Amino acid sequence: MKISIPELLVNDGFITPGNREKIENFSARTELSFIKIALNYGYISRKNYERSMSNAGFDFKPVREETFDKEVLDKVELSFADAHLALPLRIEKKKVVTLMADPSDQLFLDFIRMTYNMEAEVIVADDLDITWMTHRLLGEDYVKSAVFELLNHDAESSALTTFSTGQLVFIFLIIGGLAAGLVLNFKNVTIIVNVAMSLFFLIAIIFKLFLSLVGSRFELYQAVGREEVRNVKDDEMPVYTILLPVYKEDKLIKKLIWNLQSIDYPREQLDIKLLIEEDDDQTLNAVRGLDFPAIFEVIVVPFHMPKTKPKACNYGLHFARGKYLTIYDAEDIPDTDQLKKVVTLFDKLPDNYICVQSALNYFNRNENFLTRMFTLEYSYWFDYMLPGLDTLDIPIPLGGTSNHFKMDSLIELGAWDPFNVTEDADLGVRAYAKGYKVAIVNSTTYEEANNEPFNWIRQRSRWIKGYMQTYLVHMRSPIKLIKKIGFRGFIGFNFFVGATPITFLVYPVLLFIFLAYVVFNLAAIKTLFPDWVLFMSIFNLMVGNILMIYVNMMAVFKRRFYELILFSIANPVYWLMHSAAAYMGLYQLIVKPFYWEKTTHGLSKFNSATNVIN
Amino acid sequence: MRNRRTYLILITVFIAVYYLFLGIYLNRLGYYNHESLFFIEKSKILFEGLGNRLKVMGLTTPVLPFYGTVFFSWINPQLAPVIASALGTALLFYVMCTTLIKRTNDDFYLLLLIVLFLFHPGILYSACSGKSIYMVLLFFYLFFFHIIRFYSSNTTFHISIASICLVILVFCDYKFIWLTLFFIPLVLFIATQSLNLGEKETIFRLYQSFNSPALRRKLVNKTFAIYIILFILPLASILIYKMLNLTHANDFNYFIESPYATWSVLSDKVNFEQATSFAHYHSSQISPIVTASIALFCPMILLAIYLFRKSSYQILTIAAPFAFVEFLQIKYDKIFLSQEYFLIFLVLAMLCVTLKVHESRKQLGMKIILSFLVLFQLVTGYFFLKKSFLTEEQDFVKVLFNPIPVDQQADNMDMADYINSLPTNAQIMVDDAIAYQVVAFTHHIQRLTMPYQESYLSSSEAPEHYVNYILVATDQNILTGYTQLNSRYLPAIKKSDGRLSLQKVYETGDWVLYKVL
Repeated sequence: MKISIPELLVNDGFITPGNREKIENFSARTELSFIKIALNYGYISRKNYERSMSNAGFDFKPVREETFDKEVLDKVELSFADAHLALPLRIEKKKVVTLMADPSDQLFLDFIRMTYNMEAEVIVADDLDITWMTHRLLGEDYVKSAVFELLNHDAESSALTTFSTGQLVFIFLIIGGLAAGLVLNFKNVTIIVNVAMSLFFLIAIIFKLFLSLVGSRFELYQAVGREEVRNVKDDEMPVYTILLPVYKEDKLIKKLIWNLQSIDYPREQLDIKLLIEEDDDQTLNAVRGLDFPAIFEVIVVPFHMPKTKPKACNYGLHFARGKYLTIYDAEDIPDTDQLKKVVTLFDKLPDNYICVQSALNYFNRNENFLTRMFTLEYSYWFDYMLPGLDTLDIPIPLGGTSNHFKMDSLIELGAWDPFNVTEDADLGVRAYAKGYKVAIVNSTTYEEANNEPFNWIRQRSRWIKGYMQTYLVHMRSPIKLIKKIGFRGFIGFNFFVGATPITFLVYPVLLFIFLAYVVFNLAAIKTLFPDWVLFMSIFNLMVGNILMIYVNMMAVFKRRFYELILFSIANPVYWLMHSAAAYMGLYQLIVKPFYWEKTTHGLSKFNSATNVIN
Repeated sequence: MRNRRTYLILITVFIAVYYLFLGIYLNRLGYYNHESLFFIEKSKILFEGLGNRLKVMGLTTPVLPFYGTVFFSWINPQLAPVIASALGTALLFYVMCTTLIKRTNDDFYLLLLIVLFLFHPGILYSACSGKSIYMVLLFFYLFFFHIIRFYSSNTTFHISIASICLVILVFCDYKFIWLTLFFIPLVLFIATQSLNLGEKETIFRLYQSFNSPALRRKLVNKTFAIYIILFILPLASILIYKMLNLTHANDFNYFIESPYATWSVLSDKVNFEQATSFAHYHSSQISPIVTASIALFCPMILLAIYLFRKSSYQILTIAAPFAFVEFLQIKYDKIFLSQEYFLIFLVLAMLCVTLKVHESRKQLGMKIILSFLVLFQLVTGYFFLKKSFLTEEQDFVKVLFNPIPVDQQADNMDMADYINSLPTNAQIMVDDAIAYQVVAFTHHIQRLTMPYQESYLSSSEAPEHYVNYILVATDQNILTGYTQLNSRYLPAIKKSDGRLSLQKVYETGDWVLYKVL
């Protein structure tokens, strides 16, 4: 080869000499190849690269069906192949058939020569196809580790077993006892159950109101001030990994790049990984089709059950270079200064703070009824509940995205549980159990609120199922849990994680009984609600609803979303949707606990303006 | 700061003990009032009664003061209201002092507060009478504290806590629901002030906001949001409470209109009848003069207005209770304003002074003025109680300054003593709408058949089958017209059942006890 690819790209005018020098310096620091950096750090688009290569006579070959020899593959490390976008496949005619995105990568060619004692027969291919092949053929150990690491090292924390024997005995004893009680004394047992449910509801709601009030006290508290962010020095920023697990999110790829480009953080210190499942050609092709430079690296997650987001993240973790790490969804729009704020906050916090959670909210809040209700809910959850839990030192169930970790601590914790469908909530509790703390930062990530009811119910059923899983995992030994997170944490965990699915399951039952009583004036129901029980139940129903509506109102008032305040009144209807999702979640917990109910994104017709923080 | 807080706790404990001592002493001298007797009676029903006790628990109003009394009933049911009011007033002192010491290091102001709490007759009335004024004052203070803090911080926390305090206040005294009326214009004013405009003058800000569509929308949304955040809880709570009244008593307004639910229904009527039966004209409770009376009772409120002279909406906030009290005079024209409605101004004035006094440049002058005002208020406090139109307020100040035993409840106690001496298996029919004062002194109330029990109706129809004794109000009893068991009941029941024979066994001025033969 007469001309090297970097030179070719410079000659074609796709890369400036200055940028070439930058890339080479970066390559020397990180051991990533020139082409890997050029294609993944925003220097050149894949279209232009293909154009340049084609002009130079290198046509990309389809390589997915290429045969391979396991012995050849065994001699190459996944990380090395991935860093060079090259993969030796087999020996043919005394040459090593090698896939390469940059046929002039001398280091890799030397590696072939030294390792196999043969010259390379280069097949030039698209870098994404090579990545796909590399991970599929070399990623087995990594993906197994992603699935079983937590189970092997901390089996008690894994949700692989949904119900422990003790839990099953307990549940069946309760059901049996209740059935026996109903047979022996139907009226009194029903009254006792009624009272217990009413009291449980009231306590859970008062607890949430209390948390909200505690959280709202810190409304003006800025964990990181503007001045502190302004004083941050770019060249002192550590490498920051961003994991972007996606599945069939082809519509959002362009948006994603736009959002990522807006992040105020030195580009070379960002290590952004787009985690694509092996069977997700849609997304891979969308990345391939981009006509502007991408600023993320694609990691293909090899097929392995369970096909869940935490498994993909665990897999991506093997390739992460950052000191800190966060996860965003494809449609997320973080505040532009979020990463700097987090780094500043970590510097200020004691060492035992290993995670910082940002608030989540929605950019399409005014799209329809559902998005409005979702915004109300998230505002109250992230602006009041989580700060409330934080202040009271109760385990925080982390939000789905925008939780920022210290990388070494995350690995020490065993990362995410691939069998848990709300792996984030589980990880929050696990962190507390190990004596670590989670902080809340005054920064928001705007997401796309689900605007379609069935899509919403699917998504919510997964969340509620995950809460059930998390609750069951950590309540396998309540005594141990108390020892780990303290009595206050235990109570908080029970009311926050345990009570949430139960309230949604019980709510429609109580509502139905109440409505039947009011509308049909059924005599049979009257016997189950003597005056004093009715008094309590009506009080609970009314006060409970009012208080929950009120905390929602408080949250949107704080966010200055005044136009949403009246929508809080529709919460009882919204909770019925939660109940539908809770029953779906319960069913799935029993029949397919690890099934990841996929949420479709990109349905919103709203434009998502970048949330620039000046 | 920590040291001051420790001292403060010690002073609060001392004040609580002082109130308890004084309250128990006055109680031993025979001082009682309708409210405390009513609560004592209801607490007894709650702990010892037989029948629908949950209805008594849920619908006895004002609910929260009642629960306050119930909470201390395990110590001594008779003294529970006094213990509650003594400790509650001490708590009010602590809360007010906490606000103060966070803002100033000058102990002189603390001293003034201590003097006020130790010697002001109105405060002593709140602390030692066993009435629920302490709870009203506490939550009135907290409501205004958080409202004023909201003006400066603009945080949801303060406005939502204010709203919760308002709910509690309404459940301490239902009339405070009308206070919301006077916040309606104020909220618009607050919303206008909070808009980010260059113009400073309110009227021009309002003009600008209304003439720009974007600002107008923002103003309307914000105003509406503040209304909702502030008022939805009290209004919804009242609505719920009315629904509970409807489901359990078949009457939305049972809690404010039934003499079985609240003591004030009858006592307000009696007070008015008693007062208007005299020839003199009660000029001080005529609308515009009420405001002047308040200013005389608590001139410190004028100083408070002066201190906030640069914050127009805070002045309007202070003015809201004036409008509220004036409104009460018009709305409840047959009810005299009790000491409670004067004391709220004392508390409000102290709050405003606490929040602003440290900003004054002339501290010496301020101290002199405040000292004078405090002393002046001690005197006016005495005269306002002495010249009150409410007998129980006059009685309090009489007993306080002339500690000799009073026979205010002698009749009721006599009758209760006689009932206590009856055999334990005797059943006595009593209508506690007016006889709660007798029941409050009675032991073993399982012997009493009262309207909260299902058997009461049958007992009143056919007493010979259910009860052994009937307590009947005499014609002398000022409340005789408000009970079924009065002198007209006996001929009526005898007419319907000719075989019924009754024998008068004991009689006092207000009561006659008949034995069913």
